[in-house]
Amino acid sequence: MNQHVFIVDDDEAIRDSLGWLFQSRGIKSLAYSTAEAFLDDWNSSLTGCILLDIRLEEMSGCELFERLLERKCKLPVIFLTGHGDVPMAVSTLKNGAFDFVEKPCNNNELVDRVIQAFEQDEARLKSVASMDSINSLINQLSARERQVMEKILAGKLNKVIADELLICMRTVEVHRSSLFSKMGVRTAVELAQKIAANSG
Amino acid sequence: MKLAHAFKNGKLLKNVPLKWSNWYFIGLRLAVASLLALLVILFLLLHQNEADEQRSTLIADVLWLEQSVNFELEGTTEQVQQLANDLTKARDKHALLELRSQYLLKNSPSLKELVWLDASAEVIDSVPSGKLPRLGYNEPADDVLASRQARVIEMARKLRKPIYTDAYQTAEKFQFEVYSPMFESGQYQGSLVSVYSFDELLQQIVPWWFAEKYQVHILDGDGNQLASKSKIENLITTISYSIPLDPPGYGLVLQVTAYRSEGNLVQSLIKTLIIALAAIVLVSLWVMRNHIRRRLVAEQALRSEYAFRKAMEDSLTVGMRARNRQGLITYANPAFCQMIGFSAEELIGGKISSAYWAPDETERVLTFQEAVIEGTAPREGLEMRFMRKDGSLFDALIYEAPLIDADGVHTGWMASVVDISARKLVEELARQQQEKLQFTSRLVTMGELSSTLAHELNQPLAAIASYNTGCLNKLQSGNFISSEIEAALVKLGVQAQRAGRIIRRVHDFVRKSEPKRAPCDIAEVIIDSIALIESSAQLSDVRIVLVRELQGNSPLLLADRVMIEQVLLNLMRNGIEAMRDTATGNRYLTIVLKQLDEQIEIRVCDRGSGIPVAVQEKLFTPFFSTKSEGMGMGLNICRSIIEFHHGRLWVEDNPGGGTISAISLPVEQL
Repeated sequence: MNQHVFIVDDDEAIRDSLGWLFQSRGIKSLAYSTAEAFLDDWNSSLTGCILLDIRLEEMSGCELFERLLERKCKLPVIFLTGHGDVPMAVSTLKNGAFDFVEKPCNNNELVDRVIQAFEQDEARLKSVASMDSINSLINQLSARERQVMEKILAGKLNKVIADELLICMRTVEVHRSSLFSKMGVRTAVELAQKIAANSG
Repeated sequence: MKLAHAFKNGKLLKNVPLKWSNWYFIGLRLAVASLLALLVILFLLLHQNEADEQRSTLIADVLWLEQSVNFELEGTTEQVQQLANDLTKARDKHALLELRSQYLLKNSPSLKELVWLDASAEVIDSVPSGKLPRLGYNEPADDVLASRQARVIEMARKLRKPIYTDAYQTAEKFQFEVYSPMFESGQYQGSLVSVYSFDELLQQIVPWWFAEKYQVHILDGDGNQLASKSKIENLITTISYSIPLDPPGYGLVLQVTAYRSEGNLVQSLIKTLIIALAAIVLVSLWVMRNHIRRRLVAEQALRSEYAFRKAMEDSLTVGMRARNRQGLITYANPAFCQMIGFSAEELIGGKISSAYWAPDETERVLTFQEAVIEGTAPREGLEMRFMRKDGSLFDALIYEAPLIDADGVHTGWMASVVDISARKLVEELARQQQEKLQFTSRLVTMGELSSTLAHELNQPLAAIASYNTGCLNKLQSGNFISSEIEAALVKLGVQAQRAGRIIRRVHDFVRKSEPKRAPCDIAEVIIDSIALIESSAQLSDVRIVLVRELQGNSPLLLADRVMIEQVLLNLMRNGIEAMRDTATGNRYLTIVLKQLDEQIEIRVCDRGSGIPVAVQEKLFTPFFSTKSEGMGMGLNICRSIIEFHHGRLWVEDNPGGGTISAISLPVEQL
């Protein structure tokens, strides 16, 4: 895995010392002095986690977090806070941040949290990969088969589906068996489980 | 009352010289007028005198002339009468007539001819020629004249004495005749006629000197001129005198007119000079009068101006003081007198200019005066302490300006003095207020400060912790290069220093942190402070003595123990430093603790060199320090702390030499 800790902090000493700390645990890190610099560098293929100081010059940590959410960044974010910033950090948690850590902190605990974030990101990537495979199966279906599949997932009987689509029941059955085989399932229940697992 | 008196005085002063000058001028005018009048009278009198004299001389001369004429005519007539008498008796009548006539004609040139007439008035003989035209014989014959001749002959015959005729005109001149009758045995035999010329008469009788003085005329009864003699014609005559010329009578008049007297040149010169000088005197008097009038106007204006100035000076609240070049006071206005409590009489003239100087400022005043003399005195004035008559001191601001008199001579200095003690007091109160405000704001800032401090400190601390953990991790893993550990540790050290700097920077602020007042035993605080400073005192050979002048237990104070300790340490350190130059055996620092009513007083007495008053005043101003390395905040902060405890901190001189720093703190009911 090519995972990195993206450290965004305006204090050079903090960036350097955290880099040293992660290195001592075998974790690769990249440091940015401003939120803007990180935004410029960011793309959706990055993996790992973001370590973000709440107090930054110009664009603050919270603002950067919001921008990243807008861009559908799925990287876990851990906030670094001073002692006065706890309420702010809690609100970021509600917005989906991975965690916040108060400075000064027990550094190995921080590293442990980063590792957890890495694991979460990895898991997310895996699920994204499986979703991608189902989506590609769905893409193989014909338009009619997709219509039929939606009706089946809605729990409708063949007869009802035939009435609604103004086709004969026999045609529905053909479509049904065809899409089942394309999706690699044998029953409607299996199909529903497979779709549900991915959309969660 | 005082004002009214002054006003009255002013009025008197104003009027007296005016009255005097009025009388003076009236007298002067009278004198000038009488001088002129007398001069005129003198001239008139002189003139009159001269005219009178001239007239009397004239009259005398005229009388003399008339008499001479008379004498001449009478004398000649008598001789002719004698000749007539002789002729009647003579044998050779013609020869006698010839002889005697020659003699007569020679003696009196005015007698032009002698004619012998017989009884019927026919000419018998005449001498010298018989050609002379005569009365009654003019061609053509004049009946009036002929009858006049006949009447004269008749009168002479009857009266038997010579008879004069009236004047008559011949071709050239006027003549007259005298008929002398001749009788023989009582019988009229004829007459001897002497013909006279008026001109010749005058020529003969009037001498040259007379003619030079006078013009002589003979006029007939109608005013016609018959003859005249004068040297100069047609002169305007001044005086003349007429006297009847008898003989020949008939209203003839001898008129003598004096020429205008050439006058005495010297006399007229003197007169002219006198007139000219009088005129000059008058003109100069007039000029003088105008000059004096202008002067009076100027004086009046000056007096009003003076009164105006005086009122202005009296109304001033700024003290004014003038000194001459010797430094003696020559003037002081009421405001200045009121300011220093001396009267103007006490100040002016007497050499007590130093009486109102503050005793310890004499040197400064002298320096300032030298600066004034050199012209380098500060334009914005000088602040000085003055002493009132009652010995109290006050602050004054002095501005000096040179005093130049009307001739441009520098005579001294004028100074305006402003009492600024009230202003200083206000400034002092404002400063104290400001200090309190600063103190309060410092307390308020403490909250903010702590949060800032926490954040600032967090950064290096966090970095230190990270470096530290990183190092430990590396060491525990056993997989490390010592150089990278070393680099991390160096960085860690840098961060530790950074944290230290932050702490130091904030330290000044923290020094005045909010005190926490709690009940404490003041004696214990003092003892603790002494214990803290004992070692450094011993290094300086100073012995610290605590004197407790307390009854019973020492009182409890509500105070911040640490702060009070700091104050005491500060004061004791100052005391120890002040005794650096004191003899080793004399280096005692005495701490006296006593209770006065509701006050606790702590006195820190040193035996140092003492503090000058000027320095004492500044001791508590921020950034003032007598120590080269001092910040100038020590005593200032000490006082703030004591004031925070509602107490007082002051400095006074130690009667035994040195300085006493004293603190009084209220004992509060706990």
